[in-house]
Order: sequence, then structure tokens, then C-alpha cells
Amino acid sequence: MKPSPLPPLAQPGYWLALAWLGLVAAVGLLAPWLPLPYPAAAPDLLHIATPPAWLGAGPAHYLGTDALGRDVLAGLVVGARRLLALSLPAVGLATLLGALAGATAGFWGNRLRVPLAAATGLLAAAWWGWSLPIYFIFILLIISTLLLIIIKWRRAAARQAALTVALPLDGLVMGATTLLGAVPRLILLVALAAGTPLAPAQLLGVLALLAWPEPARLVRAQMLRVRALPFLEAARASGLPEGRIWWHHALPHACRPLWAFTPLSLGGLIGLESALAFLGIGQAPDVVSWGSMLASVRQAPAAWWVAAGPGLALLLTLLSLQQIARFLAKKMA
Amino acid sequence: MRYLWLGGLLVLLLNACSTPTAKQAASPIHIRWAHDPETLDPLTLPNQSAIDAINLLHLSLLQVDYQRNAYAPALAQELPKAQLVGDSLTLIDYRLRPAATWDDGRPVLATDVAFTLKLIQCPGLPIENSRAQFSFIRQVRLDPADPRHFVLVCRGQGTEVLNASGDFSILPENPLDPAHTLRQLSLAALQDWPTARPPAPVVAALVRRYQRANLARQPEHLPGCGPYRLAAWETNQRLRFQRKAHWWADTLRPAPFVLQARPRQLVFVILPDDGAAVLALRRHELDVYAQIPARLFQQLQASKAAQQEFVFYTNSSYTMLMAGFNTQRPALHDRQTRQALSRLFDPAGLLAATQLGEGNRTVGLLPPSNPFYNDSLPLLAYAPAQAIALLRRAGWQRWPDGHWQRPGTAAPLALSLRYRTGDATHATVALQFQAAAMQVGIPVTLVPTENSVLTSSLQAGDFDLYISMLKGSPMGFNFAPILHSAAIGSGNLSRFGQPATDQLLMTLTTEGNERRKRLLLRRFQVMMQVEMPIVPLFFLPYRMAVSRQLRHVVASGLKPGYAATALSWATPGTLQPAPH
Repeated sequence: MKPSPLPPLAQPGYWLALAWLGLVAAVGLLAPWLPLPYPAAAPDLLHIATPPAWLGAGPAHYLGTDALGRDVLAGLVVGARRLLALSLPAVGLATLLGALAGATAGFWGNRLRVPLAAATGLLAAAWWGWSLPIYFIFILLIISTLLLIIIKWRRAAARQAALTVALPLDGLVMGATTLLGAVPRLILLVALAAGTPLAPAQLLGVLALLAWPEPARLVRAQMLRVRALPFLEAARASGLPEGRIWWHHALPHACRPLWAFTPLSLGGLIGLESALAFLGIGQAPDVVSWGSMLASVRQAPAAWWVAAGPGLALLLTLLSLQQIARFLAKKMA
Repeated sequence: MRYLWLGGLLVLLLNACSTPTAKQAASPIHIRWAHDPETLDPLTLPNQSAIDAINLLHLSLLQVDYQRNAYAPALAQELPKAQLVGDSLTLIDYRLRPAATWDDGRPVLATDVAFTLKLIQCPGLPIENSRAQFSFIRQVRLDPADPRHFVLVCRGQGTEVLNASGDFSILPENPLDPAHTLRQLSLAALQDWPTARPPAPVVAALVRRYQRANLARQPEHLPGCGPYRLAAWETNQRLRFQRKAHWWADTLRPAPFVLQARPRQLVFVILPDDGAAVLALRRHELDVYAQIPARLFQQLQASKAAQQEFVFYTNSSYTMLMAGFNTQRPALHDRQTRQALSRLFDPAGLLAATQLGEGNRTVGLLPPSNPFYNDSLPLLAYAPAQAIALLRRAGWQRWPDGHWQRPGTAAPLALSLRYRTGDATHATVALQFQAAAMQVGIPVTLVPTENSVLTSSLQAGDFDLYISMLKGSPMGFNFAPILHSAAIGSGNLSRFGQPATDQLLMTLTTEGNERRKRLLLRRFQVMMQVEMPIVPLFFLPYRMAVSRQLRHVVASGLKPGYAATALSWATPGTLQPAPH
């Protein structure tokens, strides 16, 4: 029997959090069609650091303007859209990468052996990724193909085992997560994003790169527990291939903690992206986000409304994500 | 013994209960700098902080008197006498102050001046700007009868030549060239040294010695004749200058303004962020804060507590906010495109938004207060319709999707705009231009750049447009360093250069006749408005807050906006009263 959804009064925090996140999502999705009186990045030169309209100080700037004359309300809306377009995909990508890497490392450990030809292929791919001259790739591909042909011939002819090489997956994944975890994330992010402003796709990639180790470690730890469970022994005994056991049986169980962890991870990435925007690193000045709006209060310290709007939005979003994570963790426990 | 104890306690109590009084004369004066000087090499001078610092360590023949906004004799005993030769040469006669000495006690002599001018022209030193700037001095004639008397033979005529001939730090010959090897080469020979030819061995050896001295970070390796020595330098944090206990100019009576050095210690606190600087001012970590942004200044002025603690100064300045085009880019090569794009700036709106309306709009590079200002030219105004018409006239066609392209060219009209990051005024100009250009279908990519790499990027021509401050002066009209084709790659950031304008610029710098100069300057302003290599937006006001405990405050429209060496702490009786 399926558990019935909790009534709103029983979990008011959860439902409020959900409502706030729904509002942010709706505003972000509908941003291009909302009837905003001012564009977010264009300055209104006649109204610099103007208080909100409801304080009776200005015309249609409902939440006031910042030190550069940009409309705060339009900035909040565009900031919500940026949240959806950047932090959400980044956390999705990071969770996917982390889950796959952690689950693979936890399931196979360092025991996995791959054909030598595949190892050469992997090496070739790595070198290709490192932008080596293209002829290297051709040489490696030729070597791989030749090795494959030799192996096939030897298998058929002499029925010998293929030449294999150990692939220390667990060591590689743990090494990478330790390496990335050794440097504080903000410092690493600043180092990666410093210089010319990054394109949205590049920033997304950088955020995903920084965020994948945590889900990877979590899933790996869970996988170490899962792989010793009796149902996996049974699956092996029934003769199912390892890959199928991993994909169909082990992975769904190992990924269960991610339900509760992903909202926290999203909160962390939103905070990180906002910090980057606050520092003004890695993004163009005409890109408005909640973090960059918070930064603009430094140019007009008396304009509290510039900090209040994005600050409150950021706080509520992070609290909501935390609330949801807590609820999901409780539910899973 | 018991009474002694009680007495001591009483003194301590009285001291603790007393209200804060005037600071001691030896207390350091804390001044805000927005940037680190980066180098203290007296020949390099990459920014205003470096110029200010070098002026404390070394002296020039002439220095700016901020009281009068004019050059006054510093190492020179008096203003030089000029003698015109023909229609293109000037002989400028200088005599050095007999009292002037280096830190090692040796007198400052004419040979030091000759050595400095030759050193500037030595091939191998990376000081192309200085080399170009002082290339008009062709010869130094020493007087065998008087070691402090010399005559500079200069190309050109006019006040600019006179002023510029004395505006460089004089360096001592003996520590850098003890064998006087450079004396065998003439100044003209060094200036005309072919670039393909390797430098003379004595020059190469001197350049090696100079570079080995590492004056950029350790200026104490070279004796100076200025009033201060560098006591500490924490990069990007602070610089502390200590007044020399015995400085040669202390004996001068009366002490000229440019040779007054009252503070025992000057501490320059580097605070790039204006908000942080205001906070530091309110916490008494700063005593002088110049060039405060308009809104922060307004808030400070409105604060009762700040009124009790600080005196506020506002001056018209000679610093202009401007935008420049890279005229060597194919899209910006023709003047009509530049004129069209200049109509997308809104100088009036920007002046109101960033300076609260204070400051002066201008038609060109001269401020409206200048007697040679061409007031018959129209002020630049925001006019997108005019911009569209001018673009069409320049051959651009608007496509159905809104972008602009010239027939026969592959690239549509799209621009990159470079400016200094962290500057709210520059950011506002950039955003305004971007929004206006977007409305007429021109995409603009903003490229905010760190101050340390901005100059090199601009000099390399890595931009379509840039926003910058142009430091001016009421004392000269030498625009060659920023507009002459010979200065492309150094000071001429717009990379503009035409034979006609080059000729006009050179004539301007050498013209001595007042009436002809007026005509030339008016023609120059017309030419600049037609060619539009740079878009003059407005002249900024200088705003400054100074502690009430400081005396002898001289606020000026010339950078840095104050005379640091003239300041002194007030004694209790001379504190400036706070307004009620």
C-alpha cells in the first residue's frame, strides 16, 4: 500500500518550502513573458539607487534600483531564471556523474580488468581530451585496432585468455574526489573562473566538476554496503552478467541517498554561484544574478533594498532546499 | 614612593577620561590610494600612485604647485628663461638650487640632469613612453664656469615645451655611472641610435647596472633628493614613507610651497573598493580620501557625525571621462561609423547619474573653463535616430533580423567594450552604451578588465571600444602622446593617426604665438569632433574628505587632488571648528 501524501498542516515547513521553490521555478520559467517595465541589465540613468516605489520615492521601479540604475525586480526575475538555467542543470549533471562514478567504483573496486586494447583506447581518448596533435590519435587508434585483431586471432586460434590490464576504478575515483576535496571549493572555483568571463555552458561545466565528488563518495559508500547484500549474491548465482546486475539491481539501491542529498547539493551550488557572482568573477557584468545584485550594494551602502530583495530570495531558497532535504531524509529513514 | 604611585595613577586617569585631542606632529597621515603603485622605478611611472610616490623620493626641476595649479621651481632655483631660436627651437636656461644635495651629501649638479636625460634615452630600458615624451630635448649645454647652470636645447616653442622640460625626476649620476662613461655619448646620438644597431657597450653596461639596482621594488638603492624615503611597502596593502631627518630644503627660507614637507610619516593605504574606503574613513583609519564617488560623498556630507569629523572639498578637475574607438578595426575605420556610435552615448544622463549633475560636459579635450575652448561646437547628445542615419550613410545596411552589415563584408557590426573592472562610473557608461546599441541592433560585449592588465590590453589594440579617464592639465596642450600616430602602441590607445592631424598636433605643441595657438586649438577641436577617435563625455569633479585635525589642506583639480607633503596635524588651538 502506498503511503498517502502528508497533509499540509502536518508538515507546514515542507509545503511552504515547496511553494517557495515552485514560485521561483515558475518565475524563472515565465521570465521572458512577464510584463516587466524595465530590462534587468539596462540602467535607468534618471533613477540611480532609487528606493522602492511603495516607499513613495519613485515611479514604476517597484523594488527600487541599484547603484547602476538597474531595476531590482527585473534583476530578481532574471536571477531566478539564471538559477534554473545554471544551478539546476549543474546539480543534475554533477549528480549523474557522481552517481555513475561512485557506483562503478563501489561495485567493481580495483578488481576490474579491461582488455589491453581498450586501455590503449582509453589512453587515446585521454590524450585526445588533452588536445594532443591529431596524428597521435590516429596512431593510437591504429595500435588499438591491431591489438584487437591480434587478440581475436589468438583467442580463436589458441583459446587463450585475452591480454588484460587492471583498471583501478576505485582508486581513480577516490583519488579524484580527494584531490578536488583537498582545495576549498570556492577557492578552486575562483581559480578556474578567473580571467575572461565564462560562457554559461563553461560555468555549468565548472560547477558540475566541483560538485560531483560528494554524490560520488555517497553512492560509493552505499554501493559497498549494497554489493554485499544477499539479493546480489542471488543474482550472481543465477548467472546474470555483472553489468546487468550493476545497472538493474545495485545502482537503484545505491542511489537512494541522493534523493535527500540532491537538494542540499543544489543549495550548495546556488550559494557557490552566488558567491562567484558577488565577487564579480567569471561572468559578464551584464549578466544579472542574485549574487551580482548583492555585490552592487557595496557601491551604494545606504540602498538597503538592493540587498534585501536578492538576499531574502537567496535565504528563502536555501532554507527551502534544506527543509526539503530534511523531509526527504526523514521519509527515507 | 606612595605619592609617586598616586600621582602616576592620577595622570593615567586624567589621560583616560580626556576627550580625544589633536594628534601628535609625528603621527602618520593616512591617505587612501585606489591602486598599488606596482613599481617605484622613477623612469617607469605606470599609474598615479607611482607618480605620487616618486615625487616623494625624487624631485624634478619644476613641480606642480597645487595652490596655483601651475609649475613652480623645485630643484631649479627659479623658473627657466626661454630664448626662441628661429621658428622651431627653444633654449631653456636653468640654474639648480645651490642647497640641493643627494642623500649621500653630494650636490645636485647639471651633470646629473644631463645624465638623467641620457639615461631616459638609453636603448634597452623599457621606458618607451618617457623616451618619446622627452625626445624634444635634443641637447644639454653645460656651463664650464658654473656646475649648476645648464641650457636645454629643445625642439618646439611654447609654454608646453617650457613646462615639460623640467617635469622629470632627476637621478644621481655617481651611484649609477661612477666612471662617467655616459658623458662620452651625446643626447642626440642616443636619441638617434638606430634600433637595428646594438647599443654601445657603455650603454649596455649602464642598463645592466640600472636593472640590477631593482629600483622598482627597492628605491632605497638609489640616493634621492626628495623629502621622504620608503620605510615599508606591503604590496596591495600600504606604503609608508618616512620624512628624512635632515633634508636639504629645510634650510630654505621662505620654503617654497613645492618644497614643503611637513608630515613626519605618510602612509598610503591601498583600498580599491570605495565602500571599504568610506568605512575606513569613518573608522579613522584614513585621514584623507580623495576622489570620492558622488553618492558616497553626498551621504558623507549628509551625515552629522561625518560633518563633525571631516571637512569636505569639491573642485572642478581636468580629468575627463571618455570613450575611445579602435580606429584600426575595419568596422570603425571610417569616421561616420564612429560618429554614429558616439550618438549612442548619453553624456547628460551619465553626468546626472554618476556625478549627480556636478562636472562639466565638453565638446572636446579642453574643459569649458579653458580660454581656448571652442564653444561654437555642439555638445554631444544621445541621438539614436541620428546614429541610425549616420550608419546608413557609412554604408551599413540593416537586415531583417535587426543586425547591421556592410555589403561585401562577412562580419556584422558587433563590438567589444573594454573598461576597468570595479569602477561603478565606467560600468554605468558601459551598460548605458550596451543598452542603447542593443536598441538599434548592435550587440556589444562588455569586457571588464583588471587595472593591471587593462593598459597592456589597450596598448595592444585588443578592443573595439574602451572607457577611460583622461588626465588633463591647464598648463599645456600637448595631445601628441594620446593622438599622434607615432604614439600608437603606447599612449595613443585609439590608434588614430593621419598626416593632417599629426601635423596639427606637432604645430600645436610648438606654437608660441597666442593668437595662432587659439586658432589652431579651435581647429583641433573641430577636427576631433569630425574624426571622433575618442568620445569626450564630461569632466569630473574631484571630491575629497579630510580629517578636521589636518591643517594646510590644499584641494586641487589636478591629480591627485591634494598636496600630501603640505599637510600637518593641527595643534589644539588650531583645530578647524565643526559646523553646528
